[in-house]
Amino acid sequence: MERRNFFRITSLAGGGLLLGTYLPFSCTTVDESIVDWEPNFFIRIGSDNTITFICSQSELGQGTSTGLAMVAADELGVSMDKLKLEFGPGSSERYGYLQDTGGSNGLRMVWQSLREAMATTRGILVQAAAQKWNVAPEECYCEDGHIHRKDLNEKLPFGAVLDIASTLQAPREIQLKEPSEFKYIGKPVKGVKTKWATAGTTPYSINTKLPDMVYAAIERCPVWGGELVSFDGSKALEIPGVVDVMEVEPTELQQEDYRGGVRPGVAVLATSTWAAFEGKKALEIQWEMGKNGLKSNDDIRKELEADYQTKSEVVANLYDAEKLFPRGRKYISGTYDSPFQVNACMEPLNATAYHQGHKLEIWAGTQAPQLTRERIAELTGLPEAAIKVNNQPSGGGFGRRFFCDYVEEAVILSEKLRKPVKVTWSREDTFLTSKYHPLCKDYWEAALDANNFPVSIRYRGSINRPGAYRCYPYSIPFMSHSYLKYKEGRLLPRASWRSVFAHPWGLGMECFMDELAHNAGKDPLQFRLEVLKNAEIQEQKQWPWVGSDLYPKKLHNTLELVKEKSSWGRLRTNGIFQGVSAMCYNGSYCSMVADISVREGKIQVHKFTAVIDCGLAINPSQVKGQIEGSIMWGLTALLKTPITVKEGVVQESNYDSYDLLRMQEAPDVEVHIVETQDTPSGTGEVGVPGVAPAVLNAIFAATGKRIRQLPVTEELLMV
Amino acid sequence: MINGKPHSVEAPDTMPLLWALRDLLDFNGTKYGCGKGLCGACTVHVNGEAVRSCVTPISSLQNKEITTIEGADGNTLLKTVQEAWYDEDVPQCGYCQSGQIMNAAAFLSKNKNPDDDAINTAMNGNLCRCGTYVRVRRAIKKAAEKINGEQGSEN
Repeated sequence: MERRNFFRITSLAGGGLLLGTYLPFSCTTVDESIVDWEPNFFIRIGSDNTITFICSQSELGQGTSTGLAMVAADELGVSMDKLKLEFGPGSSERYGYLQDTGGSNGLRMVWQSLREAMATTRGILVQAAAQKWNVAPEECYCEDGHIHRKDLNEKLPFGAVLDIASTLQAPREIQLKEPSEFKYIGKPVKGVKTKWATAGTTPYSINTKLPDMVYAAIERCPVWGGELVSFDGSKALEIPGVVDVMEVEPTELQQEDYRGGVRPGVAVLATSTWAAFEGKKALEIQWEMGKNGLKSNDDIRKELEADYQTKSEVVANLYDAEKLFPRGRKYISGTYDSPFQVNACMEPLNATAYHQGHKLEIWAGTQAPQLTRERIAELTGLPEAAIKVNNQPSGGGFGRRFFCDYVEEAVILSEKLRKPVKVTWSREDTFLTSKYHPLCKDYWEAALDANNFPVSIRYRGSINRPGAYRCYPYSIPFMSHSYLKYKEGRLLPRASWRSVFAHPWGLGMECFMDELAHNAGKDPLQFRLEVLKNAEIQEQKQWPWVGSDLYPKKLHNTLELVKEKSSWGRLRTNGIFQGVSAMCYNGSYCSMVADISVREGKIQVHKFTAVIDCGLAINPSQVKGQIEGSIMWGLTALLKTPITVKEGVVQESNYDSYDLLRMQEAPDVEVHIVETQDTPSGTGEVGVPGVAPAVLNAIFAATGKRIRQLPVTEELLMV
Repeated sequence: MINGKPHSVEAPDTMPLLWALRDLLDFNGTKYGCGKGLCGACTVHVNGEAVRSCVTPISSLQNKEITTIEGADGNTLLKTVQEAWYDEDVPQCGYCQSGQIMNAAAFLSKNKNPDDDAINTAMNGNLCRCGTYVRVRRAIKKAAEKINGEQGSEN
């Protein structure tokens, strides 16, 4: 059904997100009986009382669409059951430059603006009803999608006042609701996405079907940096359903590596996904593998080791660490190794594009709808206004869908064909020719005083400017050197991977803290409490999207709680031992304790107890879900085969060779949430980096063995 | 027969059921995960048994009863499992969940009162990258309770 729209401009109090955005009048009238009012880019109210929340941020399973819908429902006065869900297209005109969803920023970035926009909308609706009833606005309030009159038992549905509402000025002052008035915020609520997923109706982009659409699969160069020499598609063309075979020219990886990096490839175009996949198998291709064709992951590791031997400068120096470091009476060090990893999202990468010459439409599950639109404009020469990015829920993103190479491929093919083209990656493609969490090598050293207490810590490793992210919370003086570099280029292109740099960072920091504690003869949890107690708040000066200032006290608090909840330190039977970790990431804090046992080289993880401070927990069920999932993610990295490279080629091609944690291995998980009214921060990643160190520290408690590399193998445990 | 209604497709014999469902018949609830029967995202029922549709050629399915996630209407067990999944707020990205639900329903039709070990064994082949396993376990127990409760009240 086409609906008539009338829009208005709403200005927000407090310099909100929507200030200075202007809406066009749209008059594509068909059904005159239903009129839509869109007072801002978050909400659409129909005269038939349909109320639709338009989610600006991406939904990848982390639950942001539900969390934000709850905020909208509470602030506007609508029942969650009545709120429909849509996703806003990628648009900096609509949402400022705050739409791209990564770094656990989904709620954090828009929650305040959304509240203000909804409070404004509520204010207008109240005014409209007041005008209709000829009473003062103070006599009215919104609840359950209706404006109620206080003095009489009378109410009007929102849809009944749109004719007046659409002519009104936004109120100068808006009233945000008090926490005591929240009906949903702070409670475990199930949103539209849960309904979709249980019914199997989530509109993932892999379901896209358009008239005249071509199904495509691409065979990409197996070595990063290699080139296409020649190909023969004749056998592929014999496969029933295959209609064409053509080259896909690569795009250069850009400085900001979310853009570009399409590999050289050969596309098979067909009448079904399966025919395209079958055709792909029948291609005969000659590649020139280039320099990387001679390299393996061990070569990369050696390059990092070699760089460690070269001179470097200190780029962060907390509490005068640089001066104190040489004064140590003794020194200890630990070197931590973490391998390449892949996101392995359950929904393979895919995108559909329809290039019509003067305009272009894209259907994709992307974490970066704005960045994608910008990049496609750059790639095609079309103005951004001619490009529509329909952002759809993703079957997992974990950072990989922040990179838009898979959308670029669909655009490149559709530009040639001038037809809608859906490119679906086979599962093998997502392992063999994707972008990857980089291999890291991290050196931690500490200067100790006469009592073996650390007086200064030095970090030199693969992580670029860890200080900029405010991820070192302790009061022990700390310095960081410029990061280790490879000799030339990358062996594999980089992708963000759930918790990004924090994973190798957490592995090093939290294992090393454990080593320092044991070395000083202290209980590792108590030791952390001690060196958090007097640590200073660190101001976040750069990149607001990565979070706010670091409050060591909050981390201290989560540790105190996890100590209690996990019964830390109490005598355990059945060979169960505990390990602890504490992490801060982009404004959130999480401490965890792992209960494990080791028998004959086999490790069993029995239980995780975690405490998170993520500010006000909008939806506790989802917060807990994110920590539960983060633990399974961390355990996969800890226990399962990573990505390995031989002669430039990734060796893991499907879930048989890159296994994920399975049901039988999934430990019990207990999550506790710190109760606070602080501004909400993120929950999708803070739980990941502490998992491996908590287990590794427990392995030390159980066996006396210090394992400083991932994954943990039977071999390592038996040595 | 798919979800109680007859369907026919024109496609090569070797085409896996998964792609016939998705690309030809528009049953998009069944998901492509690995193409090799490794992850369980494509699980459907064929004559009541859980089957990996990505490795099941359509030629083997003549006159068979196929149930997909869309077939919950009129399938009390499947509906009950879906409801338990909703009540326990299991899904995150949701992509593997059709397969998880279909596998759990087939399992519960044979084992009405499973313990943790039985659940773990039965569900071990269904991968979830979001890591929803703890809740999958809870939801299966909840569905079992509900099924047993309903049967109890009928007796």
